[in-house]
Amino acid sequence: MSSVLQKLISPQASSAAEPPRNKVTVVGVGQVGMACAVSILLRDLCDELALVDVMEDRLKGEMMDLQHGSLFLKTSKIVADKDYAVTANSRLVVVTAGVRQQEGESRLNLVQRNVNVFKSIIPQIVKYSPNCTIVVVSNPVDVLTYVTWKLSGLPKHRVLGSGTNLDSARFRYLMAERLGIHASSFNGWVLGEHGDTSVPVWSGANVAGVNLQKLNPDIGTDADKEQWKATHKAVVDSAYEVIRLKGYTNWAIGLSVADLTESIVKNLSRVHPVSTMVKDMYGISEEVFLSLPCILNSNGVNSVVNMTLTDDEVAQLKKSADTLWGIQKDLKDL
Amino acid sequence: MSTKEKLIGHVMKEEPVGSRCKVTVVGVGMVGMATAVSILLKDLCDELALVDVMEDKLKGEAMDLQHGSLFLKTHKIVADKDYSVTANSKVVVVTAGARQQEGESRLNLVQRNVNIFKFIIPNIVKYSPNCILMVVSNPVDILTYVAWKLSGFPRHRVIGSGTNLDSARFRHIMGEKLHLHPSSCHGWIIGEHGDSSVPVWSGVNVAGVSLQGLNPKMGAEGDPENWKAVHKMVVDGAYEVIKLKGYTSWAIGMSVADLVESIMKNLKKCYTFCRCDKGMHGVKDEVFLSIPCILGNSGLTDVIHMTLKPEEEKQLVKSAETLWGVQKELTL
Repeated sequence: MSSVLQKLISPQASSAAEPPRNKVTVVGVGQVGMACAVSILLRDLCDELALVDVMEDRLKGEMMDLQHGSLFLKTSKIVADKDYAVTANSRLVVVTAGVRQQEGESRLNLVQRNVNVFKSIIPQIVKYSPNCTIVVVSNPVDVLTYVTWKLSGLPKHRVLGSGTNLDSARFRYLMAERLGIHASSFNGWVLGEHGDTSVPVWSGANVAGVNLQKLNPDIGTDADKEQWKATHKAVVDSAYEVIRLKGYTNWAIGLSVADLTESIVKNLSRVHPVSTMVKDMYGISEEVFLSLPCILNSNGVNSVVNMTLTDDEVAQLKKSADTLWGIQKDLKDL
Repeated sequence: MSTKEKLIGHVMKEEPVGSRCKVTVVGVGMVGMATAVSILLKDLCDELALVDVMEDKLKGEAMDLQHGSLFLKTHKIVADKDYSVTANSKVVVVTAGARQQEGESRLNLVQRNVNIFKFIIPNIVKYSPNCILMVVSNPVDILTYVAWKLSGFPRHRVIGSGTNLDSARFRHIMGEKLHLHPSSCHGWIIGEHGDSSVPVWSGVNVAGVSLQGLNPKMGAEGDPENWKAVHKMVVDGAYEVIKLKGYTSWAIGMSVADLVESIMKNLKKCYTFCRCDKGMHGVKDEVFLSIPCILGNSGLTDVIHMTLKPEEEKQLVKSAETLWGVQKELTL
């Protein structure tokens, strides 16, 4: 007796369904991982989404909850498993797994805890998706992007960290609010370390090409009567503030990761401030990852924009690099 | 002159127009935030307001969303404990209230949530007297009735998310069984959003081909393909997700955003969601149940006259009786 399926549908294609072309994996289904997953789904960026985590019930629950929304989405396959086989053939893997900052804890404190977690994750990712691009989100992101690069054996253009993409987004929002315009109309870059020592490039801040530093030469300095420097301070403090209020941050980072995903998956060659290997740039001699404006496309970090930075800004980047190397050189078992 | 004054010259003499399509979400728990994010990512409003009693959490959530402004097209995201922040909303989505614990039925939540609504609804009405009120909090059918009574709004402006999600879950499972995208699988679940929801097997179709026509036993006992299990999976779906991750959020958030889209864009799409069923299908009481209705920018404008089988109509009446049994005990 033929089933409803057989009576209803006559197959035309004899071969099996094609493998996915734009598969994205998110490792870690905590608040950040799920915010990334939902942002990616709601922006229609992938044709298959895989989720991985060690907490099996939570993982299955999150997968089911997303699948129940599949009517409203254009991603036909959402899968999840503890076993990394489920991630095979991913174009992009977003790593959010790891322990998060506690209230008042600095990102650098998390380091060794997260290195050990990454040793069980990264080799598995590469095993099943040897040609993927990895975006590291877990904190401290610059150090962990270095760790990922080392553990993966992938070329440096295929491993990037979300870096100051979020800091720059927060900076642009806060600056734009002061000016009464939309964030996308304010152009400003925050580079370097994602965290306390990030560098706002005041010399580049502009609206419609009008350079703000030319209008206000004191901008960003302590001498500035309008105290624009406070806006950058607010960026640095934002994560701590949101964590203090709601326990964690997730929506903004999720949206910013979806933005990076879009550039990579759609081969857009847009410029984003992301964490990339900066050895031999700006006088930095160590293998550290810091955020610079990078051109992202299906190659991953295709190229880096050579910024014209002031001596002071270069000095700040070097200082960040030294701090990061100070931590990295003591990491065990890489 | 400040930097801003040097950069920008203000040329408009009149008062700014302000927001034209504002949405408020009441309650910033998991469902409220999933709804807020789905609405933002679908570019449905030019202003989003969030309200809750937990001030720190509220402020944190608003900040986190604002920090994503670069990636969004909603310029104004505001939040406050005080309902004045919700003024002039086109749609107010109410997600506030207690949620089901593992194994708990939605009806158990009633009296706790009625008391919360007695505070919320009058405040919403005060600041947005012309809004469309959408209730999501469970038990949604009863709380939509409660919201309607407390608001004094006409029936077409008080709706509940109802079985919109059940129908979405049904279509997802149907899609998995037939290897099709859910949007190409048509099936309607009506009645109570919960254990006594009614799958209308006679309407289940793909490209207009009635599946019950192909399999007359569909949905009944003795069906070799056990389609009845599909409906059971829908009913059990929420309990299962709650057991695994503690709550459900994403699916309900997306389904509510879909309803909000139909309102904001005056799409007049047809959804199963909950409204007052008195006078239809043999229902005598002022009970809110889900049946397919048309949703546009005025709210619920029309209902679809379903041709139900006698068993289906009986189940609907039974759903209504269960709900009325709980409703009549309420002190409003």
